[in-house]
Amino acid sequence: MGVITKVVNWARLKSPWVLHFNTGACNACDIEIVAALTPRYDIERFGMILKGTPRHADVLLCSGPVTKQIESRLKRIYEQMPEPKFVLAIGTCACSGGVFEGCYSVKAGIDKVIPVSAYIPGCPASPKAIIDGVAKLLVSLEESEKK
Amino acid sequence: MHNSQDVKVPFGPQHPALKEPEGFLITLRGEKITASSVKIGYNHRGIEKACEERTYIQDLYLIERVCGICSHSHATAFVQAVEEIAGLEVPKRALYIRSLIGELERIHSHLLWLGVAGHEIGFDTLLMYTWRDREVVMDILALLTGNRVNYGMNTIGGVRRDITPAQAKEVLKAVDILEERTKYYIKIATQETTIIERLSGVGVLSKKDALKLGAVGPTARASGVARDVRKDDPYAAYGELDFKVITAETCDVYGRTVVRVLELMEAYKIIRQIIKNMPEGPIAVRAPRKIPAGEAVSRYEAPRGEDFHYVRSNGTEKPDRVKVRAPTLANVQAVSKMLEDRYLADMPIVIAAIDPCFSCTDRSIIIKNSGSKNSKTIPWEVLHIQSIEWYKERRGIDFSGLNRKYAKGFKI
Amino acid sequence: MSVEENLKHKLESRFPHMKDTVVVQRTRRMSADVAQERFFEVFDYLINEMQFTHLCTITGMDEVESFGIIYHLSREGEIVFSLRIHISHDNPKIKTVTGYFLEADAYERELNDLLGIEIEGLAPGHRYPLPDNWPKEDHPLRKDWKPESEVDHA
Repeated sequence: MGVITKVVNWARLKSPWVLHFNTGACNACDIEIVAALTPRYDIERFGMILKGTPRHADVLLCSGPVTKQIESRLKRIYEQMPEPKFVLAIGTCACSGGVFEGCYSVKAGIDKVIPVSAYIPGCPASPKAIIDGVAKLLVSLEESEKK
Repeated sequence: MHNSQDVKVPFGPQHPALKEPEGFLITLRGEKITASSVKIGYNHRGIEKACEERTYIQDLYLIERVCGICSHSHATAFVQAVEEIAGLEVPKRALYIRSLIGELERIHSHLLWLGVAGHEIGFDTLLMYTWRDREVVMDILALLTGNRVNYGMNTIGGVRRDITPAQAKEVLKAVDILEERTKYYIKIATQETTIIERLSGVGVLSKKDALKLGAVGPTARASGVARDVRKDDPYAAYGELDFKVITAETCDVYGRTVVRVLELMEAYKIIRQIIKNMPEGPIAVRAPRKIPAGEAVSRYEAPRGEDFHYVRSNGTEKPDRVKVRAPTLANVQAVSKMLEDRYLADMPIVIAAIDPCFSCTDRSIIIKNSGSKNSKTIPWEVLHIQSIEWYKERRGIDFSGLNRKYAKGFKI
Repeated sequence: MSVEENLKHKLESRFPHMKDTVVVQRTRRMSADVAQERFFEVFDYLINEMQFTHLCTITGMDEVESFGIIYHLSREGEIVFSLRIHISHDNPKIKTVTGYFLEADAYERELNDLLGIEIEGLAPGHRYPLPDNWPKEDHPLRKDWKPESEVDHA
């Protein structure tokens, strides 16, 4: 792997820029994601920064069961993210639809629309679970990088 | 000089503050908004239909997830309607516990809002402070119910968990801490001139308009409309509790801020009464699986305003019809009025000030203007920054000083 | 006489066709059925003479042989009055009440999208709440509408 790639990967590993997108969730997971930013959990000390636009993001934190109305937007956001990119499905709804599985207006799961790198279940997923999930993703990246 | 342009502001994904997808179409003349329309619908999940296909108990867990911030509001409103149809007499202790969780939810929601409002105007240390304090409530809710959000406290006929004396003590300790911190926020809100200047006269909704547009909750109360379901149509234990309905006369975003902060103080007062007067007894009565045919209307004062549920049963174990009208749907109409003839820079805080919960709301469309020649799209994040810059340049309102001042005393 | 009984009495005197349909369910809860042709005179009376200043929402339901539309009105600090009409299932049409309550716009669009009820006099606008690409003939809240099974329960 070239030097530049190594540096870029290192920067990504040490401080992933994160985009949060709600695909029709009840908000519980979303406020837990924001709570992860606030002093009690403070993911910023791990170098994770919440960015406002997909074009700067490495990691997409996605909540919600994907309503049909928002499906195309989700695809568009995924396409706008530069490679390499990772998608985290936050919360049971994002993983499998949760309580909304079977509802007519819902796709029931992020992976029905875009590829998912990690699933973090919970209703909602607690900030600890979210941080744990992101950390595990980074470790697995590090390991695949070593190969 | 006529210079009109359509500006599309997709609330889209880039909205760290609101956390929910919705879209606004604004018509600008220069920098002033002449018309606006809201398009939401991104959160429509088909819950009402799903309710008809599931049993009442399954529906309870589904309804709770209409909105994560006011989950207890929805769950309680639903369960109250079902209990009324079934003619169940819910034990008093359960009603008190429901009210306790309801007020704790109000506290976490208002603190959340205070942080979001701070973020919208550029006062980020307020976000950090309030969400840090909010963790005190989250801990208490987790202690009492087992979860930080989506508490699952209700069942048809009562509540699922009791409060032990040790837990009650923890609640009182937490309330003492929060009251001290809230006094600090009241001080900031009423003494920091930067905040007062930034929020006063913004997002004005006259009392007449608030009534005409059917506004509810703190949005209505800040316009002098003393509308509060806890007083107007008492439910749970509120008929026996002593508290004030907080209103303000300024009819603007500042008023909405003051109302919410003072409601926090009332919530602490209510919680102390609940703990002190909590009756002994069972926490639930048995409910039948099949609910006899009938219908009922249930209302609840959620943190955002009146939550309205209608349930119709047909003698089976599944409801015939469940209708949910969440508070934000009643308030979203008023936003267009508030934005009328205002600056684009006002948009973020005006919308945030109704404390919109679009996952509660299905959607509301207000089209006042159509047909455009030029149109552009502004991502929310850009609008957010533009709004802060605009107020810095045009009105000399700058929060960087305040951020520094409060960050100094800020400890994790 | 309670507030509710008082209102019931007033309604029955003023509108003889409403005798036997006004129900006091409990304190602060009343309901009544009214014929579609006579709806507006009762609605107007409740709003303009009986101070029901708040429209909580409009509930539409599929009753198989008809549609039921309930207008939930409330009077400050007191009664919620649910006024119901039944309309034809084959050609469901009602007149808008946005002249009385601007917020009814959203509630009426919901009736249109989810149940297929036509609202006369409603200003043109985006559909709500269904997605833009949802087929216009599909009304999910109708009893005979079932979602295509997309979920694999295997």
